[in-house]
Amino acid sequence: THIKICIYFNSGIRGICVAGYTGAKSEILELLLPLKLYAGENQGLCAERDFKVQHGGFSEEPVESLIHIPGTRCVVTTGSSSSALQIWDIGGDDSDVIKRTGVINLKSTPAKGITIAPGLTDEPAVLHGSCISEVQLTEIATGRVLYTVAKESSDSVSGLQFVNACVFLICVSNGTLLMGDIRDPSTCDYPLQDSKSGLHWSFGLRSDSSQSEPSCCTVARLSSSGHMLLYDLRDLQSPFCQTQLNVQQNTSKNDFLNVSWAPVLNRCLSVSGFDGTVHIYNTMDWSTEGQSPQPVFSHRGHEMSHEAKYSSSLPVVTTHFWHQSRPKTLLSAATDGSLHVWDWVDKIIDR
Amino acid sequence: MPDIKVTPLGAGQDVGRSCILVSIGGKNIMLDCGMHMGYNDDRRFPDFSYVTQNGRLTEFLDCVIISHFHLDHCGALPYMSEMVGYDGPIYMTHPTKAICPILLEDFRKITVDKKGETNFFTSQMIKDCMKKVVPLNLHQTVQVDEELEIKAYYAGHVLGAAMFQIKVGSESVVYTGDYNMTPDRHLGAAWIDKCRPDILISESTYATTIRDSKRCRERDFLKKVHETVERGGKVLIPVFALGRAQELCILLETFWERMNLKAPIYFSTGLTEKANHYYKLFITWTNQKIRKTFVQRNMFEFKHIKAFDRSYADNPGPMVVFATPGMLHAGQSLQIFKKWAGNEKNMLIMPGYCVQGTVGHKILNGQKKLEMEGRATVITGTLDVKLQVEYMSFSAHADAIGIMQLIRMAEPRNMLLVHGEAKKMEFLKDKIEQEVFVRCISCYMPANGETTTVVTNPSVPVDISLNLLKREMALGGPLPDAKRPRTMHGTLIMKDNSLRLVSPEQALKELGLSEHQLRFTCRVQLHDPHSDTDTLGRIYTHLKSVLKSYSIQHVPDGTVIVESIVIKVTSSAEEPNLKVILLSWSYQDEELGSFLSTLLKKGLPS
Repeated sequence: THIKICIYFNSGIRGICVAGYTGAKSEILELLLPLKLYAGENQGLCAERDFKVQHGGFSEEPVESLIHIPGTRCVVTTGSSSSALQIWDIGGDDSDVIKRTGVINLKSTPAKGITIAPGLTDEPAVLHGSCISEVQLTEIATGRVLYTVAKESSDSVSGLQFVNACVFLICVSNGTLLMGDIRDPSTCDYPLQDSKSGLHWSFGLRSDSSQSEPSCCTVARLSSSGHMLLYDLRDLQSPFCQTQLNVQQNTSKNDFLNVSWAPVLNRCLSVSGFDGTVHIYNTMDWSTEGQSPQPVFSHRGHEMSHEAKYSSSLPVVTTHFWHQSRPKTLLSAATDGSLHVWDWVDKIIDR
Repeated sequence: MPDIKVTPLGAGQDVGRSCILVSIGGKNIMLDCGMHMGYNDDRRFPDFSYVTQNGRLTEFLDCVIISHFHLDHCGALPYMSEMVGYDGPIYMTHPTKAICPILLEDFRKITVDKKGETNFFTSQMIKDCMKKVVPLNLHQTVQVDEELEIKAYYAGHVLGAAMFQIKVGSESVVYTGDYNMTPDRHLGAAWIDKCRPDILISESTYATTIRDSKRCRERDFLKKVHETVERGGKVLIPVFALGRAQELCILLETFWERMNLKAPIYFSTGLTEKANHYYKLFITWTNQKIRKTFVQRNMFEFKHIKAFDRSYADNPGPMVVFATPGMLHAGQSLQIFKKWAGNEKNMLIMPGYCVQGTVGHKILNGQKKLEMEGRATVITGTLDVKLQVEYMSFSAHADAIGIMQLIRMAEPRNMLLVHGEAKKMEFLKDKIEQEVFVRCISCYMPANGETTTVVTNPSVPVDISLNLLKREMALGGPLPDAKRPRTMHGTLIMKDNSLRLVSPEQALKELGLSEHQLRFTCRVQLHDPHSDTDTLGRIYTHLKSVLKSYSIQHVPDGTVIVESIVIKVTSSAEEPNLKVILLSWSYQDEELGSFLSTLLKKGLPS
């Protein structure tokens, strides 16, 4: 089983959307997070600790990536085999079936998987592309192309994210970052200073979405060999910190490489995709020279699971997300079909 | 159309008072007869007026089957058999038969003695009801009558719980009761063979959940208990005497042993000894691990768990107490709760589902102040709930994954879901209907009182006479394809209860009838400027060229014979060129005869 998660919070309904496939069909599920998660420390009372399937639907093809469009009940997926984006309506109270409501067809079948990100404009839109020249912003309701990147390049995209309603970042798999604005087709390119070939790069953006000013944002670049660079969004040419993480290079699946900033805690980020663990680092302690930083916490649950003991290969974490409001809660999923919701404890600070 | 009808009288889109009526092959079966624990009035019983408006149920039911001893599956049994009236057989497994009366009596005592109810079944009624019980073993086919047979399968869930297959002829239904697809510490997992029932009636309590891992659940439970005991608090765990309590006992016992804990663990008296007695007695119902260790020591002989005495509740210091009943609706658990509720160091752990209306349910909904009433209570008035309340769901029910597993095992043609919150189960319905490797499945979710009719495709076995078989096989023609159906002619004789296929001649002989021969004649007019004899010759040549594989003879007496068809040509003296062709055939050659007449109407080639 292969699971991809996307987490979202939808006014009152605290749910996550999960897609998984077992060969025949993909299932997309909207799961309500167990109420146990919301029980306070001393409250003690906790009625439920299971995920409730609130809505579910089927996808003919395996789902490669899954995002939620904020402010809507809409989810967009990409499949490994098709050249279209699928639009789904999660549904309301009257039915528990997730229905496909539309398709965004692409001009051509991409060689590699498509990366997607939700647009932050008032009209629901999705930013998508498999290589730089194909990156475009499409309005979901009408299929109208709102914006296209003017750059001709077949470099493959490994990450996309909007900083605010107009400004977005593209991460190329060779490590280059591009910053664009949907009001202007040109982009600013920020290639890596010394780019080593053969490495795959991913990025994580922390944006203070309430202020939507680029000045409060930090960007992390992570390579498949564990090389990490941190930037202030205002200066993507010189990192304010760079270091080498003590991880094993994962040569098989670069798609799982994932670096995320904690939304609540300051300067905390998490890394996964190298193996079956999720590492959490506090970047405040980092200095530019010096040894590999130690993680403040490592979640080994997926490696230690019951299933992992009996299978020949260890599971690899496919994706992870931070909870929007609980500072130390994360969700992670792995190739063995496991889904974990967990809190971490900083051994030094929290005791 | 042959069909099976299923009507839930309780547990249709609802949990509580399970009672399902099935009509199959002319037989009527009642599956379970439970009581809804949340109501105090008539709503707690299934509505038997669906069976008959007034009078006893005996002639309307061929049998009653009880899946396990939980009161929401057997609680209304004495009411049904003794107060409404039913004298037929009641089937259940041996452990269920042994334990049911105990729980029913306990329930009766609380309802009547403690609550003061009057219209309720008596102890004698329970005894009379149990006299009608016919116990059965797992995988043993029991003939209820000549046509109806039933068979029990292991269901896990609690001691003695079974899933039942009901079969009449080639139609069958499987009812799961409550079941569990993952083994636990003292019971194995449910199992069934590929019996391919027409309908699989399954419980769906957790159908729309993805359950947390059992290990996490247990670890949390132990952590809570340990914390409370370490700080000197008392832990109350309300349980039903028999059921999940045994699982928790084994869990705590193992933990206490491993951590070398000294705080006492008690199990409330009365039902304790009986409970353990039955678990020891029915040791074969438990899982492999328990049976293996049974030789050295009985798993249910606990070292750290002792019998409880009412006075212990006032003892200082930490302790853990398992007390009945499970939803805190009366009895000892409620008494202890009242004593311990005011101290925030204490903890209450509810290990199961609490039906609406019970104290357990109110507390789980966060009520901090409770109105206490009733006789012989320690505290009356308002009770402040200060102790910590935890809910751990340990009940063993199949979740969505488990239900799919059972479907793959049994391969039913149709699914019917009961015992769940069916407001929104369309997704599960779709999921079931899409199972690729099971033949086209439909999924139903009837509400109480709603009848689901499922059309079946039963096969009817018929004996064929040897003569007929030999004759049909001896017929010439191309080699038969084993997979393709072949038309044969025979006569079906239905006499008494047997069905036989014989040749028509034999049938006529047996029935003492003589055979009638039917011949058809037809006249075709044709213009042909030849003599009658020549015209006949021309017809012969024509037919020979068209009907190459048929036997055509030109007989000197002036006829052409095709198979059994006789053709003659005549004409009148006034119009010698207007020929009248007479065709005559017997009914077996009807098709060929029609063909020839149509052919000849078109005329002859020149």
